[in-house]
Amino acid sequence: MNFICNIPFFSILLSLFSGTVCSVLSAKAAKIVNRVVILAVGLMSAILLLYLLSTGESFIYWMGHFPAPWGNEIRAGVLEAGMALFFCIIMYLSMAGGAHKLPGEVVESKHNLYYILVNLLLSSLLALVYTNDMFTAYVFVEINTISACGLIMIRQVGRTIEAAVRYMIMSLLGSGLLLFGLCIMYDLTGHLLMSNIKESVGLIVANGEYQIPLIVSVALMCTGLCIKSALFPFHAWLPDAYGYSTVSSAAILSSLVSKGYIFLLIKIIYRVIGFSVFNSTRMIDVLFVFGLMGMIFGSLSAIKENDVRRMIAFSSVAQIGYIYMGFGMGTQAGMVASIFHILSHAATKSLLFIAAIGLTDVSGGSRRFADLTGSAYRNKWAGVAFTAGSLSMVGVPLFSGFISKLLFAQAAVQVEGKMLASLIVLGISTVLNAVYFMKTVIRIYTATTETPYEGITFRHMKAYAVTLVFFILLNVILGVSSQPVVDMIGQGLAMFA
Amino acid sequence: MGPNLFANYGEAVSAILFCIGFTNLLLQTNLIKKIIGLNIMDSAIYLFLAEKGYITGRVAPIVADGVTSTESYINPIPSGLVLTGIVVSVSVTALMLSLTIRLYTRYHTLDLDEISTQLKREGK
Amino acid sequence: MYLILLSILFPAAAGLFLLIRGRTPLSGEKGNTDRKTLLALTGCFLVITASLVFASLLTVKEGFTLFFLTKTLPIYFRIDGVGRLFSLLAVIVLPCAGFFSFAYMKHEERESRYYGFYLLVFGVLNGLCFAGNLITFYLFFELLTLSSMPLVLHSGSKEAVMAGLKYLFYSLCGAYAALFGIYFLYQNCDSLTFTTDGALRASAITQQGGFLLLTAFVMLLGFGVKAGMFPMHAWLPAAHPVAPAPASAVLSAVIVKAGVLAIIRVLAMFGKDFLRGTWVQSGWIILTLVTVFMGSLLAYREPVLKKRLAYSTVSQISYILFGLAVMDETSFTGALFHVLAHGFVKAALFLCAGAIIYKTGKTRVEEMRGIGKEMPLTMWCFTIASLGLIGIPPTGGFVSKWYLALGSLESGLPVFGVLGPVILLLSALLTAGYLLPLTIHGFFPGADYDYGSLQKKEPCKLMTVPVFILTFLSVLIGLFPNLVDGIIVMAAARR
Repeated sequence: MNFICNIPFFSILLSLFSGTVCSVLSAKAAKIVNRVVILAVGLMSAILLLYLLSTGESFIYWMGHFPAPWGNEIRAGVLEAGMALFFCIIMYLSMAGGAHKLPGEVVESKHNLYYILVNLLLSSLLALVYTNDMFTAYVFVEINTISACGLIMIRQVGRTIEAAVRYMIMSLLGSGLLLFGLCIMYDLTGHLLMSNIKESVGLIVANGEYQIPLIVSVALMCTGLCIKSALFPFHAWLPDAYGYSTVSSAAILSSLVSKGYIFLLIKIIYRVIGFSVFNSTRMIDVLFVFGLMGMIFGSLSAIKENDVRRMIAFSSVAQIGYIYMGFGMGTQAGMVASIFHILSHAATKSLLFIAAIGLTDVSGGSRRFADLTGSAYRNKWAGVAFTAGSLSMVGVPLFSGFISKLLFAQAAVQVEGKMLASLIVLGISTVLNAVYFMKTVIRIYTATTETPYEGITFRHMKAYAVTLVFFILLNVILGVSSQPVVDMIGQGLAMFA
Repeated sequence: MGPNLFANYGEAVSAILFCIGFTNLLLQTNLIKKIIGLNIMDSAIYLFLAEKGYITGRVAPIVADGVTSTESYINPIPSGLVLTGIVVSVSVTALMLSLTIRLYTRYHTLDLDEISTQLKREGK
Repeated sequence: MYLILLSILFPAAAGLFLLIRGRTPLSGEKGNTDRKTLLALTGCFLVITASLVFASLLTVKEGFTLFFLTKTLPIYFRIDGVGRLFSLLAVIVLPCAGFFSFAYMKHEERESRYYGFYLLVFGVLNGLCFAGNLITFYLFFELLTLSSMPLVLHSGSKEAVMAGLKYLFYSLCGAYAALFGIYFLYQNCDSLTFTTDGALRASAITQQGGFLLLTAFVMLLGFGVKAGMFPMHAWLPAAHPVAPAPASAVLSAVIVKAGVLAIIRVLAMFGKDFLRGTWVQSGWIILTLVTVFMGSLLAYREPVLKKRLAYSTVSQISYILFGLAVMDETSFTGALFHVLAHGFVKAALFLCAGAIIYKTGKTRVEEMRGIGKEMPLTMWCFTIASLGLIGIPPTGGFVSKWYLALGSLESGLPVFGVLGPVILLLSALLTAGYLLPLTIHGFFPGADYDYGSLQKKEPCKLMTVPVFILTFLSVLIGLFPNLVDGIIVMAAARR
């Protein structure tokens, strides 16, 4: 086995152990360790991605020396490596963009705790991405939940604790359903490894046995992951959790945590149940309908919101609706569009959160729109970044959001029964997006003569400004040269089968 | 349906328990009751796993008396899963309880809705 | 190839430079020099851009692909006949209105922002005219909306912001409606590169013709929003009065035409043969005729001069759309001619209105009695331009309307073939009704007018010269239609 094949396991382990190490370090050292680990994992994932692209096939890594039906496995393909790389990039940028706010948000003595949680989150995300074992996936889902909850409540305000409790409750409901579905699946097939389950499921479907338990299991797993990734009717916890936690936490939570669950769902669809079997269940129609509803109601709630961060949070609900709509189309093209949207939304949403904090900072810390008037002049970099993020969300060409909408529309055109519904809702939702994002952009660029707040110049926020520039670049790169990414997604999905 | 249900009474009971726990976790406003619901839900799943993992007439896979045929032992994996699951649920419960303590010391109530209204009143 | 790119990127970069440099001129000595440098810079940028565009219009023959957005969607540029015509309009009107603003914007705040976005709009317009396929076109169409919106809400008052938002939402809604049409076209065409006559696959026409018709209609409506077509015209009268006068001139003369250009492109993509005689054509003609008539009527009743001109734009643009909807060679020529004629005339009218507002602060028509005595040169230009809009012989408006009516009669369409010209004529009468009173009361204020308080208020040269050029051009194309004919024939042949 090639040395490079150790990378997935090693990166999970590295982030896990560095988390533990952080607990005995000073805040400053913990910060450095955290950054270095994220960078190292990102670098390794990039190498792995290049390696996988050159060999053109995925590999399976045994944990311990037990062969297939018993041992625990890790699997790496193009999509996994790409996701890991992308998660690292976003996480690094989010941490860098929120670093200057951290002292004000978290007590100094707890900073290393914060970095423990971030490292733990990274390791659980990597494990979710790489694992080939259902029960391992469940365990890391729980670890992910716990560390995300920690990230929410580390800022000790009444709101965040309440939000954390609500988040925990919804998450636990979701993971309970996931675990139950998983147990039924284990009961049906006798396996925990994804590839083995898939073979057995194929047999079960071919023989026409156990149809109802199979559907129940699929439904339970899907519902569980939908709840955890805040699909429309289960989104009540989201605005508070994203709106009041620390900046970096909000960016990471919105762009990575929910995406980790969605990626697990994709793996389950492709590698556990099988794409065609999944499509033959009614689940895709359910996902489709809730996705569409999320797209509209998320945007409507965002329009009503008077708090800029909660508005961005509600917009996440709408964007997750997009992703599930892509699942619901039940075609390869829809899936590719959804995965691309995972990337584009992660890049855009974290940008928006980070930019929004720059704007609220120069408005006396208030997030109300009335106070934000003209804030883009007080913090020019944040203003430009927020505008770029908004344009991407609205779907202006040259930004990533346009490409994902294009892909969704292309996918929709190929599906007979769902074409009109998805195109119309896509249109409505886009216009609604434009309503609240453009409203905000105009608001922050409306000049006011009398402001009590001081502006900030480049000299006082170098790191922050550079982070924003990188975020914008990421968005534009995704928007301009999307073809390689789309090709990679297609290749990765082909490796899944 | 009836005989089937009776034959698989263990699964049926665990499913019912799961629903009870799930509903409690979802609908109770008292945080402690919610946590109890969570535990009921998790236990129901472990009951399900244990029930499925046990085959009548076989024993735990510890080689004694030199019997090595797999026919006489049960599969150890479900039991292993139950153990892992218990660890997970204990840690989650601990986290929930600590959060509950935080909220209680701050707001002097265990009612989540009550806490929400207090928060709104604070206007932050 | 580099010329095209340069003519798009240079003004955009220059605009961004002004935006980033962003110092508002201060009052006093230092502010004055600051302002002078700003104006000098902007002037240079405008002239350079204009010459770049002229150079590319004259020299560039080949199209080129800049890069691929996705595997089958290139960002592709090419200058064809129609693009050349629209580009010509833009490259004449924008510098004129730009120089006009040097004087007009003197007392407004945040000039550098205005000029920055102005140059951005210039660049985007060039991109729009030179776009070689539908997706590139759409890109610039969206950018045009976004970059021109700050011009509308420049003053920053609540009204202006609301008008800007209204403009934005109308345009975005329209653009998205059109975008979905583009998705369908993408599915049913071999490529989205602009063609001369229909790019639809034959199999697609037979299999889902009905659906394609619906798509065509949705696209026409969607792009029609920008052109102020009937159900979605309300943004025009809201946006024009609040924008600075030169910005309204550009908006009305050029940016609104982007919608027309879009519709020409869509028409070519679907192919006239596909649409001729279908419900889409009839529905579209009805909409345009309603708009023509209603726009004139609303303008007739409107007391605020700039709003009156805005309604007049609504009506006049639909003349062009009517010419396109008839789908006849002659009327097509007329429509293209009217693009130029209306562009010059309306820009001149708005600039005149701007000069009046700047000098006297009067916005309502009934306040403008005797204005011709105060500002004779401006009012003469206004009068000549008005005649052009009404369509009285020596001006360009006459030629275009002649072609339009002729084409409509020739087309042999049932009902509309005859009804069209009648409505065009009625609307022309109304046009006379709403424009000429200004001239009449302006020059002949009546016996009770107080001549004693009369002052000469003729604006400075920076204002009068652009107005004069535009008016002159509007007459010139009427006197020598052959000058334009060459371009139009080329455009019509290569559309």
